[in-house]
Parts: sequence; structure tokens; C-alpha cells
Amino acid sequence: MLKLEGIHVYYQESLAVSDVSISVKEGEFVTIIGANGAGKTTIMKAIMGLIRVKKGKIHFEGDDLTNKPPWVRAEMGIGYIPEGRRVFPDLSVVENLKVGAYTIKNKQILNQNLEKVFFLFPRLKEREKQLARSMSGGEQQMLAIGRAMMLNPKLLLIDEISMGLMPILVNTAFASIKKMHEEGVTILLVEQNAKKALATADRGYVLETGRIVLEDRADILNQKDEIKKAYLGG
Amino acid sequence: MLLQQIINGIVVGSVYSLTAMGATLVYSILRILDIANAGAYALGAYVGLFSYVATDNLLLSFLIGMIAMGIWGIFVQKFLYLPLLGKSPLISLITSIGLFIFLGDFIRLWAGPQIKDFPADLKLPFSGIKTENLTIMSVWILVLLTTAILLLTLWYLITKTKIGLAWRATAQDLEIAKAMGINVNVVVAFNFFLGYSFAAAAGIMIGIMYNFISPTMGDVPAYKMLAIIVLGGLGNPVGAVVAAMLIGLIETLVGGYIGFFLPRDSIAFIAVIIILLIKPQGLFVRKNI
Repeated sequence: MLKLEGIHVYYQESLAVSDVSISVKEGEFVTIIGANGAGKTTIMKAIMGLIRVKKGKIHFEGDDLTNKPPWVRAEMGIGYIPEGRRVFPDLSVVENLKVGAYTIKNKQILNQNLEKVFFLFPRLKEREKQLARSMSGGEQQMLAIGRAMMLNPKLLLIDEISMGLMPILVNTAFASIKKMHEEGVTILLVEQNAKKALATADRGYVLETGRIVLEDRADILNQKDEIKKAYLGG
Repeated sequence: MLLQQIINGIVVGSVYSLTAMGATLVYSILRILDIANAGAYALGAYVGLFSYVATDNLLLSFLIGMIAMGIWGIFVQKFLYLPLLGKSPLISLITSIGLFIFLGDFIRLWAGPQIKDFPADLKLPFSGIKTENLTIMSVWILVLLTTAILLLTLWYLITKTKIGLAWRATAQDLEIAKAMGINVNVVVAFNFFLGYSFAAAAGIMIGIMYNFISPTMGDVPAYKMLAIIVLGGLGNPVGAVVAAMLIGLIETLVGGYIGFFLPRDSIAFIAVIIILLIKPQGLFVRKNI
């Protein structure tokens, strides 16, 4: 479904990601783990089209994405949960969700998606009219997830779902993306919380200073000594 | 007397608010100061005057002036500002000053350096109000009505429509707005169309009110507009309107009651200096940014 072929990305004139090749098949749950600054966010931004790819290609369902603007990629069915949530602070909850469904022209589908999000996160329904800036971190994370669901994405890119969340909320967040995956959404998750990520994903890549150094089934990566030592706390 | 001064102040403030609105809208989306917006104010006044002379229809000449400048705005953003996006905001600022100077000289070449005036008898569908101690000229009513209609239209577009939602999302987080599927090029073009057409409306109204237009008529508004948008909290449309009204009122009241040894235009800047000394963020700034 998604294929990165040897992409090189520069960030502020220095090479942030070099020669990265990743593939995600339809229905898969793939994770990229790596330390802070390894280039995880850069890869996500490159797939979404928010940063320019210097070399290499990105394919999505057979189409070459490399030179397409981000809004076209969203319309093609790529959803995005950015690092640090990035909800629109001065829009209400329901307006944030409507922005998430911006490319959906059919009102009926839009309302269906809205019902779905409200069913999954009743808290968002309660706070429908409230400005996003006035909500807690956990609620904002729900909103960011809900906003991505509004698109009914085929592929969902998730950048650090656990960052800045209390442990109990991390579990809730993982449960909700797992649920989306069971409903047929293909997922690519980058995470610092390697333990959680590998426990949830089918397959994983390990990123070190801008390069992929390992790739395997998630349960196998979970058992490897070098992974345990570097990312799982011994 | 006081009521009279307040009305005068609001009329002046109305024109200021339209003048400052264009630059405010541009700043809130692109975070650049667009001095060239005041060029659309002068050029718009000329297009409006020539249209009026040709058609003898005030409404039509407003529309022609505004649409022409709106389209000009789309050109400016597409060929000047978008290529500079991502570079230092100073580069855009200097570019906009350059464009502004160019426009002044372009008008001089095209329409001549001399002052022009609007025909004296505008056929307005309403007359002014004149009592013993209160005068409201029909032109003032025109200014107040036009401003109210334009600001209400803007409010409606921004808060009630889909493109307005896209506008607000883009102003708050350009990058994420793109990722959510918003074609920000369309949003920015829409933004410039509105901003430049508002400037044109302000220029035409000033031309009618003071009955003169000249190639340099945009100079003072260019700087005053800056004072207003800084005061209004940089990129906050409501703040800009309030700040514009405030400046209009201060100017008229100080001029009317105290008199002033400095030129009237300096009052706005002195007020801004005083207010910024007390409240450096401007009067209306968002809490957490």
C-alpha cells in the first residue's frame, strides 16, 4: 500500500533521513521505533508531504506521491496524527473534527464519521462546543485521534501517540488505535515507547540516526537483545 | 458637540478599520507585514474614480474597484509572497515596501501626479441629517453603511462558511491545515482577495469623503495601518477593528477638544507609543501564544 524507496530528506540543510526504504501492506500495523532525533518525525512529514524529499520515491496504492501537495495526499486517504497533538487551539472540538473531514464533500458520510468519533470518545461529544485550547492533554490527544478518524483514512500515520500522556491514557490511546486497526485501517506508527509499540504492531523497523538498521516481525524484535538493551530498558 | 465628535471619530475609524483589515488578514495567515496593501488603497481609489466617471454608478464603481484590487491581490501573493514563504519575514517586508513605492510611481505615470477629485454631486439614495447642533453628512452615512456591510460579510465568511473554517485553521496552524486536506493556496488567495478589496473600498471612501485622491494618498495609511494592527494584537481581526475605532476617536477628540501642536496624523502614533509602553503585547493578544 505504502512504499518508500530510498528516500533522503534534509532538515535545515543537514541530512536527517538517508536512504530509508519502508513498505506497509494493506491491513498491516507497522511501527518505526528509534531514539529521540533519529528521524522518525521527518519520515512521517515526508510521507504526508510537509517536507521535501531530496532523493527517492514515495508510492501510495501505486501512485507516485513524491511531488503531490499534502492536501492531495489527505484526499487520497492518508490520515495524520502529528507529534504533540497540534489540535487547532482556537477552534471548538466539533470544528476541529470538521477540519479533519475537510476533503469529504458528502454531508451524510461526514455526519456518520462524526457520530463514530463521538461514540468512541463520548468525552468529545460532551465538550463539543469547547475550544480545544481549554482541554487537558489527554482530551486533546483524543481530539487529535478523532480528527484523523474523520477522514476515514485508508492509511493512518501516527507520530508519537504516547508523548506527554499519563500511563493510563497511553493505554487508552493505544486501545483506540488498535480498534481502528481491527476495523481495517492500515497503520504506520512511530514511537519512542518501543515496548508498547512492538506489543501492538505486526512488524517493526528500527531507525538509528536517520537509517533503518533492523526490520522484522514485532514479536521477534521484542526478543532481540540489542533492542531490549537500547529501547526496552534492559 | 461631544456626540458630533464621537460620530466623526467613528466615521474616521471605519475607514481605518477597512484599511487595516487587509494587512491584518495577511498577517494572521502568513505572518508577514504587507505594506503594499496600502498600495491597493491608492490604486483602488483611482480605479473607483475612473469607473465612476465612466459609468456614473457609485455602487458599480465600488464593485469594479474592489474586484480589480482583489484580483491584483491574488497576483501579488502568487508571484511575490508565496515564492518568499519560508524565508525570513524581513525579505517579504522589504519586498512589500518596494512594491508599495512602485505602485505610487505607477499611479503617477498612469494618472498623472496632480490631485484628482470625485464629482461633487454623488447621487446617493439617502440624504444627510442636519439639526441645530449635529451634522451627519450623507457621505458619512455611506461610509458607515459600507463598512458595516463589509465587516459583517467578513464575519459571516470567517465564522459560518467552510472556506472560513479553513481560513481559521490555516491561521492557527498552517502545516497541520495542509495535512488535514486544506488547499492552503486557495485559502491564501481568498485571503488576499478580501484584504485587497477592503483596502480598495477604504481608498474609494476616503476619496469621496475628502474629495481628493493622489498618488501618495496611501503613504500615511500605510504607516497608520501598521500602528493599528500592532495595537490590535497583530493578526486579530476583531482587535484591528477596535483599535481602528479607538485611533479614529482619539484623533478626533484630541483634535477637537485639546487642539494639537503636532500634525493630526501624529496623534495615532503617539497613542500607540503610550499604549505599547503600558501593554507591549498590544491591546488584544491571544492568551497563550
